[in-house]
Amino acid sequence: MANVRLSIDGKSIKVRDGTTILEAAEACGITIPTFCHIKGLLPTGVCRVCVVEVKGSKTLMGACHTPVAEGMIVSTHTPRVVAARKVIVELMLTGHTGDCVNDTNAENCVLHNLASDYQVGAPRFNVKAPRFYPAEESNPYVRRDLSKCVLCRKCVKACHEIARKDVLSVGYRGFKSKVVTGFDEALNTEACRDCGICIEHCPTGAMSAAPGFKARKGGAVR
Amino acid sequence: MSAAGKGTLSSTGNRAELLALLKQELGKNGSLSKTVLTSLADKTGLPLNEIYGVSTFYAYLPVAAAGKNIIRVCGCLPCDLKDAQGVIGSIKKELGIEPGQTTADARFSLEQVGCIGACDQAPAMMINDTVYGNLTPAKIAEILKSFK
Repeated sequence: MANVRLSIDGKSIKVRDGTTILEAAEACGITIPTFCHIKGLLPTGVCRVCVVEVKGSKTLMGACHTPVAEGMIVSTHTPRVVAARKVIVELMLTGHTGDCVNDTNAENCVLHNLASDYQVGAPRFNVKAPRFYPAEESNPYVRRDLSKCVLCRKCVKACHEIARKDVLSVGYRGFKSKVVTGFDEALNTEACRDCGICIEHCPTGAMSAAPGFKARKGGAVR
Repeated sequence: MSAAGKGTLSSTGNRAELLALLKQELGKNGSLSKTVLTSLADKTGLPLNEIYGVSTFYAYLPVAAAGKNIIRVCGCLPCDLKDAQGVIGSIKKELGIEPGQTTADARFSLEQVGCIGACDQAPAMMINDTVYGNLTPAKIAEILKSFK
């Protein structure tokens, strides 16, 4: 496979054709923030946090899904990029209706860490009706609190590509979009058992280990 | 080759034919119930949640129990500027239902949808497959009467 030469933040680097900008940046030690991306899985490019400036391109490009090209000049932290990321994080926070103030696990929320990194405060956008869904606790393994979900689709991707269970999909459209299981039913044990891969990948805590499941210690009965 | 451009996210089963199959089932059954979607899931090998996700994305694939006649009022910009909300208000008054609901006698379902391609006749709505354009709130009662 042919090699491609490009420049990222002034560093010249040679990578294989078909590499994404994100992978190329990683290879030369430049960190681009990501949110919806799972390393090694198909990129979805839905969150736009990884946008970078590519010389000659009118719009910012998503680093996680844009393949490199010969002679590309990429800037990962220009004022334009940072300004865009700030608004992107702010928009995601707007749709994130969790009780984060009282959440003792809030420091694990990738969205909150991004907001802190990019100094994004309380979102200034007015919401007609906040996205609220009652927390689902019917599953002994997974607790779903879809109000916290920002539709990054990581759980859908992880369930499809890692667990190969295909229990989760995105249903409805626009403001009503929601991660659904079955016929938009509760995530019951029939459909989903204890693999926990979605929990591992959920960046906002919308999917978390059920309290009882977390407390279980001591391993299997011998 | 990296992960970029290697097929789609949901490539399991026979996804390419899903929309055509859903349309076919809709013609047969009038709406897409859980039974219909479950049998479709068995037939195509796609998970039920995936089929449900696709169906709920499209306004023309009614998943919930739909009425005999489905009223779809366009809610896009041109219609909105020409008082689509007034038209919806008039339908609400006439039928006593909100968008997304079905009348108690299951005769009508009301939905607010995206552009129906009749911007030149704004505000417009569709009842089943017929387009009604240049609407005014006053015209609604008469149109609905023809379906009673």
